[in-house]
Amino acid sequence: MDFMSNLALGFSVASTMENLAFCLIGALLGTLIGVLPGIGATATIAMLLPITFQLEPVSSLIMLAGIYYGAQYGGSTTAILINMPGESSSAVTAIDGYQMARQGRAGAALAVAAIGSFFAGTVATFLVAIFAPPLTTIALKFGSAEYFSLLVLGLIMSVALAHGSVLKALAMVVLGLLLGMVGNDVYEGTPRFTMGITAFADGLNFVALAVGVFGIAEILRNLENEHDRAVVTSHVGRLWPSRTDFRAMIAPILRGTGLGAVLGILPGGGAILASFASYTVEKRLSKNPKEFGHGAIAGVAGPESANNAGAQTSFIPLLTLGIPANPVMALMIGAMIIQGIVPGPNVAIEQPGLFWGVIASMWIGNLMLVILNLPLIGLWVKLLTVPYFILFPIIMAMCAIGVYSVNSNIYDLYAVAFFGLLGYVMGKLRFEPAPLLLGFVLGPLLEEHLRRAMILSRGDPMTFVTRPISLTLLVLACIVLVLVLVPAVRRNRAEVFTESEV
Amino acid sequence: MTAPFTRRVALTLAAAVLTATAAEADFPERTITMVIPFAAGGSTDLVGRVVAERMGRELGQQIVVQNVGGGGGSLGAAQVAEADPDGYTILMGTVATHALNPLILKQKPYDPVADFAPVSLLVVVPNVLAVNPELPVNTVQELIDLAKTDPLAYASSGNGTPLHLSGELFKSMAGIEMTHIPYRGSGPALTDVLGNQVPVIFDNLPSASGHINSGKLRALGVTTAERAPSFPDVPTIAETLPGYETYTWNALFAPAGTPPETIELLNAAAKVAMADPAVIDRMGTFSATIVASSPEELGAHVQAEMTKWEPVVQEADVSLD
Repeated sequence: MDFMSNLALGFSVASTMENLAFCLIGALLGTLIGVLPGIGATATIAMLLPITFQLEPVSSLIMLAGIYYGAQYGGSTTAILINMPGESSSAVTAIDGYQMARQGRAGAALAVAAIGSFFAGTVATFLVAIFAPPLTTIALKFGSAEYFSLLVLGLIMSVALAHGSVLKALAMVVLGLLLGMVGNDVYEGTPRFTMGITAFADGLNFVALAVGVFGIAEILRNLENEHDRAVVTSHVGRLWPSRTDFRAMIAPILRGTGLGAVLGILPGGGAILASFASYTVEKRLSKNPKEFGHGAIAGVAGPESANNAGAQTSFIPLLTLGIPANPVMALMIGAMIIQGIVPGPNVAIEQPGLFWGVIASMWIGNLMLVILNLPLIGLWVKLLTVPYFILFPIIMAMCAIGVYSVNSNIYDLYAVAFFGLLGYVMGKLRFEPAPLLLGFVLGPLLEEHLRRAMILSRGDPMTFVTRPISLTLLVLACIVLVLVLVPAVRRNRAEVFTESEV
Repeated sequence: MTAPFTRRVALTLAAAVLTATAAEADFPERTITMVIPFAAGGSTDLVGRVVAERMGRELGQQIVVQNVGGGGGSLGAAQVAEADPDGYTILMGTVATHALNPLILKQKPYDPVADFAPVSLLVVVPNVLAVNPELPVNTVQELIDLAKTDPLAYASSGNGTPLHLSGELFKSMAGIEMTHIPYRGSGPALTDVLGNQVPVIFDNLPSASGHINSGKLRALGVTTAERAPSFPDVPTIAETLPGYETYTWNALFAPAGTPPETIELLNAAAKVAMADPAVIDRMGTFSATIVASSPEELGAHVQAEMTKWEPVVQEADVSLD
């Protein structure tokens, strides 16, 4: 069977000493930055991007992928222990995980998170291995009309499932779309919103925007709250969940894995959406929904599995279509291009060693994480006690170096400062930065594909509904839109949101 | 705008005064920076890194590569135009930075002739005209005939790029119409041609060669005057349209006012680098033909390219602010 020999090839690539080492470095580094609230996988991968040029393509992608899923793990650790999600996708884990920790069941919560993530990671790795090649053949059927419809679906889903006010999420998407317009238009070369500065001709630097809105803004927010950081590690309790805990978590892990795997593939926020969706589902299916928000084990197991499965399957669109499912994946595309690899349907065919090696390394990395994660918890908590007056300047300096090194462009640093402030103000006004970033990433693609599809169809908009794949995607988008507007669904969204603010 | 200019004049004068001593002092006595005006990973970047490493060994000083991408290469080129003319900042220029951009950009960030001291034309890289195999044409002539009856579209790596203008030159010499579909780089353009979303493409030979070899693209003709050594069976477009010739080239430039002795040293190092079998081998893998010209030849080449492209740019009405 092809699939087995492919996996065998992957494992032979991923298990060389060098690649194992990079996988470990990535997973460790990812866990580390996941634990640090100031800095996420996006900023870290951006900073390491120039360094990866010196590495073999496989090794660099293995390391960057390790950072990504390592960060998903690390983020959960702080979410559970001190109610501070290091990653946006672990925000849901904090709801019930922190309550469990306060009841002295931190060990069980951490173990559930680790087991759920590992199981989800294993299943998702196999899903990637099985479904990536068939998706590759479909990939070439995607022209600009199909991409346009896919992007419409992604944008609608990101608004529909974002937590908080729909209006605010929409406002952020639109602001992101506008920021994405900065630069010369691809078709006519007309400069837009560049303020006459040639350095903006190619648009705003994505890394600068992401580092500002997430990294710098997070630091500003933390400085403000420094006095009320409280670490509850006094009693971590017994490490392993009890027999009843195990029984309670099996079904949520399975459902979370399924949900995460499906949502992860979609462009528009994969892993983050997955954990919210899973929490909503578990709460609705639970026999005692009252338990949620007060330390329900299903409220940790489901979302944790979902976010890890989503993190894994978001590699499918990256590896097969060359389109990013989320900002981290957009950076991975940059990493591949730096290595001279054109992301797209041909990667699996032309570079089977790289393609399958990265997939196999995901499973190895997940295994490493499980082994690493539990013994390291004590150390992570100590890291959090590093005074912020030492930690934050270091993080800020690293951000600046990382951003500048991408294009040696001083305006990118101004952009970091500006978007850092903007991100802080947005946080104050309770605007989510994620829809902004998605608008920024997807907006230019949306325009590019819309206009290209129109040029190819000679100005006939029917091209979007006469092509079957495009039509299907647009119909799905309409269904999602209707679901959001149905009152019952809207009420549920509100419930999820209020509890996540505990 | 006058500030850098004044500074440049002052530095040029200072450099002229110091030339005698500078020539005796051993150039280079510190690290040299090679600005590559495109993002890391592209073909110019690859050529630059290979050459920088070998030239550095020859000069006894490391040459550090700095990618200054943006504005189709004009940001990096402008940075070198304004750098101190001491030979420690050099540019890996291309047909885009030293012929097309100056013709296309309404706002000229630099003068490709007056602001630079040519060092050496290193390599020329052929482009290729290719089609999706489902398009029922096997030769350039058949494509021209088809385009006269059927409206066709062609893909390129972007507006105002050498590949776009290769397409425009082709259209005007063949007397046909084809809709230009610009992409953000060669990669996505290739993907759409492989998937038959767009039937025709003008691309760099190195980036298309894999797909031509695997049969997923049908190469109709290369754009150089001679056939490419790596694809001896693919005819030239000029065999159908006599006089048609375009190619991408990479050349080293220093800022204007760099002492001639320094230029000589850099030129000699470049020639040694381009004669190294390992370098020749690397260049061969991306179908680049080695030239390694003298500074004077490069100066004449830039003039010739500008003269050649000006009417094409005007006819295609390409302009960017």
